[in-house]
Amino acid sequence: MTDEKQRSDERLWAEEKQRMLESFDNKVADRYPLKEFHNIGRRGVRRTDGYEKATGAARYTLDVQLPGMLYGRFLTSPYPHARIVSLDTSAAEALPGVRTIIRWDDPEMDVEVPLAGHELNSIRPLSNIAHWQGEEVGAFVCADSEEIAEQALKLLKVEWEQRPFVLDVEKALEPGAPLSNPEYNPDGNLAPNDIYVEGHGDPEKGFAEADKILEFKFTFGQNTWVGPERPCGVWRWNGEYAEVWVKQQRPHIAKRAISQWFGGIPMNKIDLHCLYQGASFGGWSQMGWNLGGMYCAAVAAKRTGRPVKWLFSRREDFYGGEMDAGVFYLKVGCKLDGTITAVEERGVVVNQAMPVFGIAKHFIDNTRVPHVRGRTEAVWVNRGPNVPTRCEQNLNCYSLCWVTNRVADALGLDPIEVALKNDGAEGHDIEWLNARKAELGFPVRDSLRECIAAGKAAIGWDQKWHPPGTKRLPNGRMHGMAFTWTHEWDDSAGSSEVGIYIERNDGTCTILGCRADGGQNAETTYCQIAADELGYPVEMVRFKHMDDAGFFTMTPDTSTNLSVNGWAVRHAARLLKQRILEAAVAPRGVTQLTSFPPAFPGKRPEELDIKDAVIFEKANPENRMSVADFVGPSGAQGPIVSPIGEPILAGREGLGYPMRLTPPTFDFAWHVQRGTYLGLRLRFCRQAHFMEVEVDPETGEVEVTRVVTVNDVGKVINWEGCEGQAYGGAYMGVGRGRTEEVVWDPRTGIMLNGNLLNYKIPTLMDIGEIQTVLLETGMGYGPYGAVGIGEDVATVLPALIGPAVHNALGVWIDRYPVTPDVVLAALGKA
Amino acid sequence: MPHIGDKQPVSQPVSEPVPRPVSLGTVTLTVNGEVHELIVEPQWTLQYVLHDKLGLIGTKEFCGEGACGACTVILEGRPVLSCLMLAIECDGKNIETIEGIARANHPLIEAYIKHSCMQCGFCTPGFVVTAKALLDRNPDPSIEEIKEAMVGNLCRCGTYPAHIRAIEEAAAILRGVLVAQGGEGRD
Repeated sequence: MTDEKQRSDERLWAEEKQRMLESFDNKVADRYPLKEFHNIGRRGVRRTDGYEKATGAARYTLDVQLPGMLYGRFLTSPYPHARIVSLDTSAAEALPGVRTIIRWDDPEMDVEVPLAGHELNSIRPLSNIAHWQGEEVGAFVCADSEEIAEQALKLLKVEWEQRPFVLDVEKALEPGAPLSNPEYNPDGNLAPNDIYVEGHGDPEKGFAEADKILEFKFTFGQNTWVGPERPCGVWRWNGEYAEVWVKQQRPHIAKRAISQWFGGIPMNKIDLHCLYQGASFGGWSQMGWNLGGMYCAAVAAKRTGRPVKWLFSRREDFYGGEMDAGVFYLKVGCKLDGTITAVEERGVVVNQAMPVFGIAKHFIDNTRVPHVRGRTEAVWVNRGPNVPTRCEQNLNCYSLCWVTNRVADALGLDPIEVALKNDGAEGHDIEWLNARKAELGFPVRDSLRECIAAGKAAIGWDQKWHPPGTKRLPNGRMHGMAFTWTHEWDDSAGSSEVGIYIERNDGTCTILGCRADGGQNAETTYCQIAADELGYPVEMVRFKHMDDAGFFTMTPDTSTNLSVNGWAVRHAARLLKQRILEAAVAPRGVTQLTSFPPAFPGKRPEELDIKDAVIFEKANPENRMSVADFVGPSGAQGPIVSPIGEPILAGREGLGYPMRLTPPTFDFAWHVQRGTYLGLRLRFCRQAHFMEVEVDPETGEVEVTRVVTVNDVGKVINWEGCEGQAYGGAYMGVGRGRTEEVVWDPRTGIMLNGNLLNYKIPTLMDIGEIQTVLLETGMGYGPYGAVGIGEDVATVLPALIGPAVHNALGVWIDRYPVTPDVVLAALGKA
Repeated sequence: MPHIGDKQPVSQPVSEPVPRPVSLGTVTLTVNGEVHELIVEPQWTLQYVLHDKLGLIGTKEFCGEGACGACTVILEGRPVLSCLMLAIECDGKNIETIEGIARANHPLIEAYIKHSCMQCGFCTPGFVVTAKALLDRNPDPSIEEIKEAMVGNLCRCGTYPAHIRAIEEAAAILRGVLVAQGGEGRD
């Protein structure tokens, strides 16, 4: 290689790596977008998981069966708060087929170990105290079948000490209330670190400036995720190696936790498989305890020498829930033109098993409201843990929805006017935000106005919207319409690593990463990005989940799949392309015997390009070689020597003997993203949603006849994926707002409806029609200007049913889900 | 306020040991055209036998009590919930599962992929089986008829609108009014 060429190559590499570093902690627009797209943003790209999932071939952890495998199930508490005084396992152990029973007081369970979750925290994997009815407690029974394990659980003789319990958050705050968890907080049911305060400005000043002050309250019932695949996992010891199957949204954190068990298992002695997951939308993956079953399975597998699968029952899955349950008090000051001067909010929320999250954030992130104060009090009661379930921002979205619509109602304005009047960020108006867009290199577009224009046209807002309680339909029902809005997000702090390489023989491209699939079609999206960056047809690219959590690809948490992994895939593909072009101009097959001329002699990498998986000279496209020919076949044995001692050549230059002449074409890249929670990034893209309902004033029944979702996703990479998240989120959102609630018996503290017959998730017929609109303003921080969409609609939509019912009836409901009894109560009929 | 102040230890009522089932039954199931002779315990569900004993993992358990349709199979031409059928009841019966529908290259499969009907994918096979049974008995269903046939299948990811499009398309292909597009991955 000449010095000049070497300098040129080094310069190109340095440039690409510099670009990668620039986009870490990215606070600016994508500076190096592609000039043209072929697969990115194209409709009809075939899902890479489509055939597996449509034919039932896709494997989930629940499907794993291993020779000799045992099935493990937990004893659960029949009482909402109780301690096991004594446990007699003899009858259960005598049942044929029972192989071992792990007790909380067994010596090997006298440990505190990290059991994953959002981050690691060390706790006992099996306790003898239950803080909610249904909690896994005291014993883990392993048997030849799940059925035998269940029978054995019934044979456990347990002496319980019942403790006082409390279910209601506000009652839990009253003086003298029973302590729900004296082990965690002996002084009350609200621990000091479970209070979260946020805000800016001085709300009192804002109220003084207001023409009108509103005060209102609403409550939100407990909903949950209902993951179709029950929580489960499998552990097998292969000698000193641990082989683990996890149903886990965060397999890499799971592996980190496991590596600290049993005195430490080296990371490279753990084989961790993460198959497809029957989604849990965050769910149990987020719990601090979520690997408790895994730990018990590991201990049982060690005792018995057999693989162990642990499972929850369907009912046990219902005990954890979404963190939007609670009671919310709002005070709002506004001017007569709809300008909001102050928002003060207090939320009393239930069992937030992760760091407590704010409820008034969207007024800060997303509006010009100068005076904001939010206070979240996360109270512990004797119910299961609540965690972000698509997602933790529900309450922020609900608050913005209620304030926008209550202010509009109080002032006789269209809620859309109120939204546009208050759009902004950090207490500044939209002009200020536009100046920031320009500074950071983004297009300057008014995302909310564009979303609203699209949504109004789609739903016919100008023709159909009416003052509250004024439109009776021919069928006797009242017609209602409502609108809400907020920003788009991809919030999580996250990091991603991916590998990428070109396969020998056919030149196909493989992206290596850790699968954490929840169905978002993310893997196809990565292939689209790699294809366009490399100059490949998308059909020649596959995301191959490493059969282990190796390259720690970012997980789907907080809509961050694409905005983190998209960068990593893009960096990796660009580096790989650079590596291919560099190799194409370098001598090949450099051995002690000989070397061969470059595939493109006398050329520099920047004179070449790749299209349709063919390397070609830009100035002379006839000078070309497919990547497949270039990388050559696999398994070649190297130069063979002719009878007169000369090496026999191969490849394009020689005899066609399958000899490997090129170095392996492998590269990798990574990406780091700091969370927007840290106030690092302003949000520019908006979303607006519209709903139409019919309400029967006699029965209180609410029918959602039409939903229009409008999401400015910055840039659409995969249309079907984005639209699926939007209409899928609409179903989940309507379910949460309209029918879904976990109910406890107040007398006994027992959950009453932990099943799919009595907990109603939406069916095909629960929304009349959904129209999904996607806008592309390019104002996202992700690659090509994209933002996430996974959580948005399911999170924003639930509260919208309240204003829609108000528009129909002219009265405000005050609690969710908006079941018929809630509507009748609002009408004074119940 | 709900409050149980009794701190005295109380004993949980303990049920007597449950005797293990003894009356095993031999059944013959014809599954996707293949005959299986099996010894089953009387309480085993058809879903359990298909999934755990025959390895036909496409027949999924979601709710486990007949509320969701994920375990749907076609029994003697009718869609049934295999979690509510006992295997012992199915002696001598013909059963079609998702694996048989896929092997027959039914146009629903490719239509489901094209219209992105799956997200997490756990419930998807049950939808395909229900849709196949619908098209067997009604080759040209209206949208209302599709909705009515599919309303018993639950999808937590909310993929519902895509299914209607895919079923309409597969129906058109079966009737010969639309040409199927070649798919990949049939291996």
